[in-house]
Amino acid sequence: MTRRLHYTRREILLRLSWVGVIVAGSATMGPLVQYLVNDEDGVRSSLVIFKKQLEEDSPWENVSSSRVWVKRDKAGIMALIATCTHLGCEVRYHPEKKQWECPCHGSIYDDDGNLMSGPAKKALQRVAVEAKQDGSLVIYTNKQVGSDERA
Amino acid sequence: MNVPNEEGVLPKHTEKQISVSQSTFISHIRPRFLPESAINIVYTVCLGGLSFLSFIVLSVTGLLLMFHYQPGENTAFSSLLNLSSVIPYGALLRNWHYWAGQIMVITVSLHMVRVAWTHSYKPPKQLNWLVGIGLLLLTLIMDFSGYLLRGSQETGAAANVAVHIAELIPLVGSQIAQILFGRPSPLSGSTLMAYVWHCIGLPTIAFWLQFYHFWRIRRDGGVRPL
Repeated sequence: MTRRLHYTRREILLRLSWVGVIVAGSATMGPLVQYLVNDEDGVRSSLVIFKKQLEEDSPWENVSSSRVWVKRDKAGIMALIATCTHLGCEVRYHPEKKQWECPCHGSIYDDDGNLMSGPAKKALQRVAVEAKQDGSLVIYTNKQVGSDERA
Repeated sequence: MNVPNEEGVLPKHTEKQISVSQSTFISHIRPRFLPESAINIVYTVCLGGLSFLSFIVLSVTGLLLMFHYQPGENTAFSSLLNLSSVIPYGALLRNWHYWAGQIMVITVSLHMVRVAWTHSYKPPKQLNWLVGIGLLLLTLIMDFSGYLLRGSQETGAAANVAVHIAELIPLVGSQIAQILFGRPSPLSGSTLMAYVWHCIGLPTIAFWLQFYHFWRIRRDGGVRPL
């Protein structure tokens, strides 16, 4: 078979447009896969597990990939949800100031989660903790408790 | 040729004739010859084609949105917030779907105006005008049901207005309202009923009706190839 050297303009344009279709199509694949495999909106258990050891009177420690923070004081272990009681943004803990600050509208809470300045009107939510035999913690994020409750 | 025999009865179709009639759909969509006047862009302004393009975009983006959207009174709005803030490219898909929907309502409406302007509703195209009215209604209902699926507070009010209107139909009103909208709460129009109609029921009807629409255009001597 001899190689063709001459192509009509129509043949070249047709091939070029197929190249365009294939390039655009494959460029779409990455975003498509990212979109489909994302499970951040999946249903989550209300139970959160914390496995590290807590030292007494250490700063609050975050349970990875959740909004739960835990801390141990003389009376025991407590858990706090870092969701602003104003409109639900995630509040940030500043260990040097011993404060929680909301990045959205500037509400400030003290180290225990009590309200220092608005626009929020309530303290940060405390939830129930259970200490297991092996030292790990189970946090019941849908079980609200008072601020003096310890495990 | 189907010539009546002596008793005046048409002979039965031969196999060849049947296979020809099955392939006429394709040969009408991609015909060998066209009237020259039909390829004039000023005549159609591409409005029907743009509506169909919007429909394709809506089908693809809508299918993808279904992977993350959760219908229901308490889940719809929060899944929408997830889509537009957390899921990669979710905001892009949602905006794409929204704007394609808005554009489709506009192009379908302008398409009706164009058809009236060029007298294209007159015989032999009168049936296709009626099909077009059906497609206009389907487009508007799909637009409305899509709005309800947002699940925000306004959509709860909108859904309840729609339910009360449907209930005005004598005897079967409340059943029809139940089939179309389910029981929307005052705070969210997103129900499983609205979801199924929006994603499967109405688009399927619209899809087949559109292909009948295009086939009839060709049969009636219309517009250039897609």
